[in-house]
Amino acid sequence: MGPLARKSKLYFEDVEVGFVLETPGLTLTETHVAMFGGLVDDRPADPRGVPDLLPLCLSTGLGWRVPQPPLVVLAFMGFEWTFLRPACVGDTIRCVSRSVAKRGMKDGGVVIEERRIMNQRDEVVQIGKLTLLVAKRPPEPAS
Amino acid sequence: MLFLRAVGLEPRLYFDDLHVGDEYTSPGRTVTEADIVIFAGLSGDYNVLHTDAEHMKSSIFGERIAHGLLGLSIQHGLLNRSMPAGVDLRFVGLKWKFRGPIKIGDTLHVRARIAATQDSDKPEWGRVTIDRQVVNQLGEVVQEGETEHLVARRLR
Repeated sequence: MGPLARKSKLYFEDVEVGFVLETPGLTLTETHVAMFGGLVDDRPADPRGVPDLLPLCLSTGLGWRVPQPPLVVLAFMGFEWTFLRPACVGDTIRCVSRSVAKRGMKDGGVVIEERRIMNQRDEVVQIGKLTLLVAKRPPEPAS
Repeated sequence: MLFLRAVGLEPRLYFDDLHVGDEYTSPGRTVTEADIVIFAGLSGDYNVLHTDAEHMKSSIFGERIAHGLLGLSIQHGLLNRSMPAGVDLRFVGLKWKFRGPIKIGDTLHVRARIAATQDSDKPEWGRVTIDRQVVNQLGEVVQEGETEHLVARRLR
């Protein structure tokens, strides 16, 4: 059992700058497009297309499918994002993310994550940097 | 209008119709528990912030909050509805700040302003920058940012 497996949650102190995480893939279906369209009223102009914001919305959930304890994110503070090419129904996306910077604060820490969404041809579909407020590890009771 | 939409003749807005300083205010939309549950199921983001009511009682928010990206997506849908004749805004980029939580029962609307228009490297498309603010029922800005789009030019 590795050191990660013994922790149930990852805190600011556990974030390693430079650490790369790659998720499993997810095939974009008409169901995703229909559900997203119904929920938020955003539909693509092209019937085989995917709303630009949908891969971005799916990328956070992809991160949860990586077998490692979740990072205790207190708040998503902001992000910058670039849309490089459209995604289509039938494309399989995955996410590659990397912590690029961290900065401790009084009640937590700020982590900058670079995230790229890739398709099945290894092309970058969308890329950007997210600013996350992450909890610090609470003091452990003596055992 | 529905008939025109069905036969593909709906009048739409082109790059040429958008001008710096144009402002749009969207209708409101109340964010419900169902919106958050469906977004969690669709996106696979089951973070306790959005899904664990008991855990969130002891958080600074006091209750579950909406996913930030749900708020972002809802505001885009709202803005689409408020641009009078419909416009196909292809995303090029965005810069976005989450200023405050969106809670169950909050009613949001969007204030948007065309901040810049310029040529793109493709003659049939123009580039448009839109400043947007997502405002709740108390008048608080909960999200804001700038989005950049490619918009088709009118064929000459």
